[in-house]
Amino acid sequence: MAISKRKKAQYRRIAVYVLSVIALLAVALVVDWGRLQSAMFQWDIVVEQFPSILTNAAKNTIIFTIFGFAGGLSFGLLFALMRLSTIRPYRWFAATYIEIFRGIPLLVTLLILGFGIPIATGWHWPNPYVQGAVPLALVASAYMAETIRAGIEAVPKGQMEAARSLGMSYSRAMITIIIPQALRIIVPPLTNEFVLLIKDTSLISVLGVTEGTRDLARFGRDGVNHTANATPLIVAGLVYLAMTIPLTQLVAWMERRAKAASR
Amino acid sequence: MARTTRLLASLAALSFIVASCGGSDSASDTTAAASTTAQELTFTPVAEGKLTVCSDAPYEPFEFQNEDKTWTGFDMDLMSAIAQRYGLALEVTVQPFDGIWLAPKAGTCDVVASSLTITEERAANAAFSDGYFDSFQSLLVRTADKDTLNTLASLSGKTVAVQTGTTGEEYAKANAPDAKIQSFDDAAAMFLALESKQVDAVLQDFPINAFRATKMGTSVVSIKFDTESEKYGFATSQDNTELVKAINASLAEFRTNGVYDGIYKKYFG
Repeated sequence: MAISKRKKAQYRRIAVYVLSVIALLAVALVVDWGRLQSAMFQWDIVVEQFPSILTNAAKNTIIFTIFGFAGGLSFGLLFALMRLSTIRPYRWFAATYIEIFRGIPLLVTLLILGFGIPIATGWHWPNPYVQGAVPLALVASAYMAETIRAGIEAVPKGQMEAARSLGMSYSRAMITIIIPQALRIIVPPLTNEFVLLIKDTSLISVLGVTEGTRDLARFGRDGVNHTANATPLIVAGLVYLAMTIPLTQLVAWMERRAKAASR
Repeated sequence: MARTTRLLASLAALSFIVASCGGSDSASDTTAAASTTAQELTFTPVAEGKLTVCSDAPYEPFEFQNEDKTWTGFDMDLMSAIAQRYGLALEVTVQPFDGIWLAPKAGTCDVVASSLTITEERAANAAFSDGYFDSFQSLLVRTADKDTLNTLASLSGKTVAVQTGTTGEEYAKANAPDAKIQSFDDAAAMFLALESKQVDAVLQDFPINAFRATKMGTSVVSIKFDTESEKYGFATSQDNTELVKAINASLAEFRTNGVYDGIYKKYFG
């Protein structure tokens, strides 16, 4: 008896469901939940993390991220425009900058700018926030410059031509016609960049932290140190998710709306 | 002619390399063989044939790498002597200091050798060997500040670097409440922060500060806090009682047969 194609696909789907349920059951039975909970999720330790994990650690992570993103976006836009410029030295400068800051790991950049520059020049960073946020913004701007450039190039050529034929100057057309459309195109990759920045702030602690400037990851690690238990790391991880998931959902919702509007 | 010379030269170079390899091996063999008596393995190492050691390095003069990349320093020399006593090779895993004493419990390594002070809090989650070194807290400052930053009281309003998870951090928080305390992941970052004037002083164990001061010459130890001595111990998992016994037996032997004194002299004169 031959099985029809549709039946075959249906059986396959059922098999996948059954296997998933078996896998879940196996995990549930094999894992020693009591041990896992005592090592990674002790409720009294969870409670201990609050409220300072939010008022201190998460606050600092958000401050670093916002400064990093704002700086990265403005400088990124500048470098993207320089990269597209008809003036050669602008293009060379932007290309060199992007290659350098995109190619060197943030950790190394942080150490070079945070310690190296002051040692070499005798100049001081005014405070730990600036010291951490500036390298973050510089690296972010290199990435964002390329994203923004791709966005600008994705706007159809006709837009610029039409704007110029209406008598707009190049810069006016760029600012009022091209860049707004480009920004809309690059919302998904920019969101990605924002999420990466949130997580990259965890590297800033190599420059030294005071009680007041600890970020989420450092807070979690210090917690492990005090309690000899992994619970603070789990809580820190959950707080990261509490920041990133609403953000990505919001952007997904905005994208859906934008798609509906442009249909 | 040219060709033969080159050939001879490369042969000579080759034999030199072979000889020097053999030379260094046999040299380290003889020093160790003369000083330790081979023992039967009583514990099960995490990696077969190796004594895996977790350490927050570099932390001169206790754990650092020579120019030829071999691990050396006070802790590491003791560890390699212990490894050799049990016919094991020394393997070093570098990791950050905070919570390092939990690593053997997690199965990352057999033992922690990282200038680790024995404290009650740490002993609740790790098994410690007998103490093998007495240490004190101290203050490292830039040479220009040596007469002004030399008491706990003088730290008021100043920025003090400490390493995360260390007894130095606890000491600073307890005894210098008016200082701005900045915590760092490793000793190297603290020294950079002192050089770059991000901090005014580094509060940590005396031997490390003293070694740095002599090595660099730009900073000095302005005070050694003589109030409380701390004992360094090697940490293992609490389940690994045989390894603790083996380490303690080795340390006891090294103290009587001159190995300990030899290593001490090498680093602290």
